[in-house]
Amino acid sequence: MSIEKKDLVKSIEQAYSEGYTYLVKITAVDYVKTVNVIYILRSLDKNQDKILECELDPANLSVETITHIYEGADWYEREMQEMFGVRINGRKAKRLILEKWDGKGYPLRKSFEWGKPYEKE
Amino acid sequence: MAITRINIGPVHPSTHGVARLVVDLDGDTIVKVEPHIGYLHRGVEKLVENRIYMQSPPYMEKIDYVAPMAVDELYVATVEKALNVDVSEKASYARIILLELQRIASHLFFIGSVTNDLGQSFTGFMWGFMDRDKVLRLLENATGQRMFYVNMRLGGINREFPKDFEYETKEFLDYFEKRLKDYENFIEKNPIFIQRMKGVGILNLDDAINLGVTGHVLRASGVKYDVRKNNPYYKYSELNFHPKILSDGDNLSRFRIRVMEIRESIRLIRDSFYKMESADGSMVGMPVKLFSPKPTNKISIVNRELPRGEGLMYMVADDKKPYRLSMRAPTFINLAALNKIAKGHKLADLFSIFGTLDMVMADVDR
Repeated sequence: MSIEKKDLVKSIEQAYSEGYTYLVKITAVDYVKTVNVIYILRSLDKNQDKILECELDPANLSVETITHIYEGADWYEREMQEMFGVRINGRKAKRLILEKWDGKGYPLRKSFEWGKPYEKE
Repeated sequence: MAITRINIGPVHPSTHGVARLVVDLDGDTIVKVEPHIGYLHRGVEKLVENRIYMQSPPYMEKIDYVAPMAVDELYVATVEKALNVDVSEKASYARIILLELQRIASHLFFIGSVTNDLGQSFTGFMWGFMDRDKVLRLLENATGQRMFYVNMRLGGINREFPKDFEYETKEFLDYFEKRLKDYENFIEKNPIFIQRMKGVGILNLDDAINLGVTGHVLRASGVKYDVRKNNPYYKYSELNFHPKILSDGDNLSRFRIRVMEIRESIRLIRDSFYKMESADGSMVGMPVKLFSPKPTNKISIVNRELPRGEGLMYMVADDKKPYRLSMRAPTFINLAALNKIAKGHKLADLFSIFGTLDMVMADVDR
């Protein structure tokens, strides 16, 4: 299901109240023109998954945090911020997750050049 | 009282790889644990984007080196879904047998390492690793490799089971079923073991769901979710499988669930051998070629019950290579729950908790 960026948190809160209380995964895909953020939610009672997809403009990569809804979202958000450069607004912990990467660019973006020697930022 | 901050790892015998834990202590009581990960990050998700589909399984096996075949199968199943390749009935049963054997091997590793972490029982460690080696020998017979099998092919497995495989496996299962009673007695009757495990590291049901933990951690807290039951793949729906649930959510429950699951796996393997006799098709899949069929599904999502919990792959397919592959590693999210579970316990209990979460750091970092 595709959703607008401004409705993102609202839609997830809505899904949570519908019984999608288990967060399976947050990930992102770089389609070059857009970067899509994907939330996979699950209802344990109905045994059903819900996939929310949100297109972001690469020039303004940011989403609101959902850690106040799902505590388990924290590490996924940190991983996404580090790998894709998607800024997460409103997060308490500022530390990234893998935090050893001090090179240029974001590794999982398509603009990241493969096989080039390591360059420090 | 002043808070003391200590650093454990990244190289420490009980961190099962390279995990660094920064622990805030009030006296001997844990106030906060902060896991620092990433020491084993290889960027598997990026590597896959630069290789054709069937070039990646050897990489996948190194994600979880304790249960390599399970991750390999998850990846190959995702590619099969993208390329729309069917798995024959016989190959399904063959895969179930191999995966459940792999699960037993992985759980035995867990039993061995946890009892070793507790420091009081060399017995458990020796037992676990001795019996695991018997399973590895069976897998070696079936696949040709002892640890990194690379045995999955599109639509099946690499080669037919050898003639003596069924007999040897059944012989092992007969032996192991009796042997498992020793393990169960060990859990129920060893007072030192019970003292270290019971009531330690409790994760209650609401927190377990909110944190999104998975696998045995989730089931030990009382959530009835097992992919093999809730979203059955292959022939699990025909095998009369019952997921094991406990409700205490402590270390002992997590350990007990593992032993119960081994018993369930033994039954599944026996059933599969029985049903495989009348199954159609060949168990051998396509040989690995440079040119694979064109993908028909752009986005494929596959989830599997890996030995450490639910693994999920989200793949966007391109012509020859995956455009993007994202993996949900079960231990990644279980480790995120460590702070909540360990808070308020003594430092000495940290590693029994860390052990029962069953960490494989290579799987956490990918």
